[in-house]
Amino acid sequence: MALLEVDDLRTHFFTREGTVRAVDGISFAVEKGKTLGIVGESGCGKSVTALSIMGLIPKPPAKIVTGSVLYEGNDLTKLSEHELEDVRGREIAMIFQDPMTSLNPTLTIGTQITETIRRHYDVPQAQANKKAVELLEEVQIPRAGERLKDYPHRFSGGMRQRVMIAIALSCDPKLLIADEPTTALDVTVQASVLDLLDDLRHEHDMAMIIITHDMGVVAEAADDIIVMYAGQIVEQASTLDLFDNPEHPYTEALLGALPQLEGSGIRQGRLTAIPGRPPDLIDPPSACRFGPRCPYAGGDSCTDEMPELRELRKGHWVRSAHPASERVRTEVPA
Amino acid sequence: MVSNPTDIREEGIAVEPGASPASGAPIRQSNLWKDAWRRYLRNKGAVVAGAVFVLVLLYCLVWPFVSPYSGNELDFTIAKQDPSLSHLLGTDKFGRDIFTRTAEGGRVSILIGFGATIAILLIGVVYGSISGFVGGRLDNGLMRFLDALYGLPYLPFAIITLAIIGRADMWTMMIALSIASWFTTARIVRGQVLTLKENDYVRAAKAVGARWNRILVRHILPNTLGVLIIAIFLELPAVILGEAFLSFIGLGISPPDASWGAMAQEGRTTYRTHPIEIVVPSVAIASLVLCANFIADGLRDALDPRTRET
Repeated sequence: MALLEVDDLRTHFFTREGTVRAVDGISFAVEKGKTLGIVGESGCGKSVTALSIMGLIPKPPAKIVTGSVLYEGNDLTKLSEHELEDVRGREIAMIFQDPMTSLNPTLTIGTQITETIRRHYDVPQAQANKKAVELLEEVQIPRAGERLKDYPHRFSGGMRQRVMIAIALSCDPKLLIADEPTTALDVTVQASVLDLLDDLRHEHDMAMIIITHDMGVVAEAADDIIVMYAGQIVEQASTLDLFDNPEHPYTEALLGALPQLEGSGIRQGRLTAIPGRPPDLIDPPSACRFGPRCPYAGGDSCTDEMPELRELRKGHWVRSAHPASERVRTEVPA
Repeated sequence: MVSNPTDIREEGIAVEPGASPASGAPIRQSNLWKDAWRRYLRNKGAVVAGAVFVLVLLYCLVWPFVSPYSGNELDFTIAKQDPSLSHLLGTDKFGRDIFTRTAEGGRVSILIGFGATIAILLIGVVYGSISGFVGGRLDNGLMRFLDALYGLPYLPFAIITLAIIGRADMWTMMIALSIASWFTTARIVRGQVLTLKENDYVRAAKAVGARWNRILVRHILPNTLGVLIIAIFLELPAVILGEAFLSFIGLGISPPDASWGAMAQEGRTTYRTHPIEIVVPSVAIASLVLCANFIADGLRDALDPRTRET
């Protein structure tokens, strides 16, 4: 059994303008010790997916309409808030995008780490302090012991994200959800934080969900990748397979929009952009949601119905009427 | 790659190398409160007001012990004396030393002022934070109730409260003055809590399993402190003025006990022949109220850098 199984999760926001289908029927599983990458552009529902797993979506207006989130066989969506609080941090921890605002400015780093430890474990303060120092050393903060008494404003962005990671790891969770963990950081710091996350994941034997819009980040960190578009999964495959043989036109376009600095496939000239905008999630088209932006749309294989997510080959799922490997030569992009 | 020492050193530099307390190096430890203090000192009006405020407080607290006179000692042989070396501000129509009596009256006025302000803050913080934190229907209900209460005029309500209790001493005055004046504080706190509740660090705390009480007490309320400090200095003058008004119209502290309002009331009868009896308590009230307002102004600029003038 997988560590986490999400089945047909639908999280909708009930607003005055209408129902926003932020997450619209997604299913995936995370195996113990593996890393799953979720990529997609802003507003495609990747963060809402993470928050739904944690039970942290703002209710109201958001609500999990259907679906289940099975963690070690228990459905998290059925738990009470009180029971969920025991799961958060202890079993599943999360780190957020902006380390500059994710630490409370009125509490010292040490307090913020030890309070989390003592929230879940009944240990004396001295022992929690000791553990906090170990954690800070583990995330490679120099002079960890002295820095426990410092307030967050004395740390740089990269250091703060390391502290956030230390807090997230403080109770040895089995699953870590990283929601755009490096987006707010410098490129050089990004790389070191990613490496750190990967090392720690191995050491603690944790599973990880890494959410990002940066294909480079998932390529480095993830075992499997989910590509989301407009609240749905459009492609799911192992990292190698996805990068070598992208099937969905959206995935192809995403990869085509990446700058490539070396290797055989090096491109000249401008990067290709995807024309158009993602659909309004209040009233999404009932046909293929990528249709209006798809270069292959309108061909014979396209119908008015939503394409199903189908397994093209073992472990490679795609939601498109014309994945790359099934395209006939006549279907040339307009 | 993380083990690369350059990486770490460069990040370390960004946060002041050698900034540890143990290294003993003289470093400028700049934090929120020190920054605020620096900005406060730049506002000359607020600094002077703060100094006067502290002086008045000290005078009221210390002088009654030092003074050779008692504020309640009647001696008609020395009634209505002008200021002299033995009686710095002269004596009133009962021969009491005005300088001493003003200090004693000030104690009462300031005690009532601070007491009522603390009560206002307590009620306001509890009401406002519950409303903002729970949100939803409860918030709506509590706020509509508050809107209705807002219609109550502050002083008439205080008068009615005193009439119902039926006696006017320091404690009942505090109740009367706070009962109809906590509404604004509650609204301010609610607004702050509403904003802070959506903060990233609140979400981050929730993500590691913090319970609601911890989130409220550790993550939200401490961050409303800046606003509350300002609220103290905005409520204080209103309450002190209210006390003076009630005592002046004879509903508050009554003779022979002194408060600034009661002293002004006594002095009212002799304002033509011996005006100093009414001038001294009035000036005392005015100076304290003015100082508190200046301090509130300075604190607002100091604690919220965004409103600071360039």
